[in-house]
Amino acid sequence: MACGVAAAMVAAAFLTMAVVLVAKAWSAADLGFLFDPSSRVADRAGIGPALAGTLWLAALTVAFAFPVGVGTAVYLEEYLPPGGVAVVVSGAVANLAGVPSVVYGVAGLALFVRGMGMGPTLLAGGCTLAALALPTVIVTSRAAIRAVPRGLREAAYSLGATRWQVVRGQVLPAAAPGIVTGSCAAFIRTVGEAAPLLVLGAVSVMTFAPRSPADPLTSLPTQVFAWSTRSQQDFAAVAAGAGVALLLVLLVMNLVARVVRRRLQGVSA
Amino acid sequence: MTAAGISVTRRAPRRLADRLARPAFLACTVLAAATLVAVAGVLGVETVRFFGTVSPVRFFTEVDWTPFAEEPRFGVLPLLAATAQITAGAAFFAVPAGLMTAVYMEHYAGVRTERVLAGVTGLLAAVPTVVLGYFALTFVTPLLRALWPGTEAFNALSACLAVGLMILPTVIVFTRNALRSVPAALMETGLALGAGRGRVVARVMVPAAAPGIGAAVFLAMARAAGETMIVTLAAGNQAQLTWSPLEGLRTLTAYIAQSSLGDAPSGTVQYGAFFAVSAVLFAVTWGLHATGRFLMSRRSRGGLG
Repeated sequence: MACGVAAAMVAAAFLTMAVVLVAKAWSAADLGFLFDPSSRVADRAGIGPALAGTLWLAALTVAFAFPVGVGTAVYLEEYLPPGGVAVVVSGAVANLAGVPSVVYGVAGLALFVRGMGMGPTLLAGGCTLAALALPTVIVTSRAAIRAVPRGLREAAYSLGATRWQVVRGQVLPAAAPGIVTGSCAAFIRTVGEAAPLLVLGAVSVMTFAPRSPADPLTSLPTQVFAWSTRSQQDFAAVAAGAGVALLLVLLVMNLVARVVRRRLQGVSA
Repeated sequence: MTAAGISVTRRAPRRLADRLARPAFLACTVLAAATLVAVAGVLGVETVRFFGTVSPVRFFTEVDWTPFAEEPRFGVLPLLAATAQITAGAAFFAVPAGLMTAVYMEHYAGVRTERVLAGVTGLLAAVPTVVLGYFALTFVTPLLRALWPGTEAFNALSACLAVGLMILPTVIVFTRNALRSVPAALMETGLALGAGRGRVVARVMVPAAAPGIGAAVFLAMARAAGETMIVTLAAGNQAQLTWSPLEGLRTLTAYIAQSSLGDAPSGTVQYGAFFAVSAVLFAVTWGLHATGRFLMSRRSRGGLG
């Protein structure tokens, strides 16, 4: 059957990619690779600074975009009366959800790196990635909030609960699993982005691990890119190694989200 | 513990929280709106400033893109054509494969196979595009060069294949949603009338889901047009008009990513060019994305006509 063949081909393409990546990364794999600083010599190159940079960026992005995004979703769904303003805001959010990440990089360069004078730092990277994740976090959180049955709210209101009590006690607990799942998907996609960081001016050879958000911008995705563009054979292995490390970071983020989600479901059930 | 969570005894702190809640949520909304307005605004302002020095007519009609030459030329057509070629090429590979995979998952596969395929789709969606670009450059391109020795080291075909792989999950997920929203009764009626499963799927189920499938295609193409890292790594940096898929080309996104913008001084015409290119890219992806969302809204209104 043709459709079955197509499905098998899709699965095969994915497997090929995974196998090629791991096979190429194999020779780079040792413990030093994880902690060593980046280097111009492939043998001595490690992903220590890039890994630390990506962890910083992930933390900053979640810290900025999650509260603001969920807060906005709650306001739009529970507080703002439906009508003109609501339509304008949700239209704008929906439109910006489809804008390519590299465009956010250009805007971030003008706004954060130059406009606010942050320079090409992890902080500027975190702000840009947060802006990139924001529309998706808002859209998925709104969908999760809207899926909470009306009756739950009405029952609480009829018992004399105030709006905040309804939001805090009923809506958020019921919507939390959906909010976490949707936001986490957005954050995983954002943390894997290289394009906006490249535009902001990420460094490709960094000799020390960043200790604060004011340190220079470095990350695993941009490190994979920088090493991929080098023609020497041995850099292909470290690029693949950095790619595998990036995939592992994203996998851990996904596992954390799953655990959090299971906890939340346990509480609200 | 739903209704039990409401305590009627703790009165005082509740009032304070109540009074703070609305302004706090409003502040979040204002901050989010301000960020997104600033993103759109800075693009608009710099683009308008750029068109103050470079005529928009020349920008959209000339065929030379040499912003850093002695006599800079800003003809965006080669970049725009390259983006169109990559988008169309990626869709050429991903749409049939994704559509058929979605049909297989919805109408043929057993529970276990479906779960495996859904898992693969989810994993593929989480793979960063820079990793796919690496795959294209170090695996697909050498393969193509072995097949067709004339292939350039940077070529459009390799990028199209990898971008196609990247947009597959989008095509599959949205097509599945569209197929799932078609009433199962249609399938049962068709089968009861004696038509084979393949016939009912091809003649009834897929046509009934057409608007949703169209939405899947446009949303996937919007992602393909905005994809940066794969084309930057695999398609090269020659801003040229060419029809050959085995030659290199340079898309709107690749130009932005490759030109190490961080070094261009603010206020120069070259700096402005990044914003103009970004605005064009914005317009292209917005058009595709809006069309996709329009088709999606038609789907949710139902109607099989």
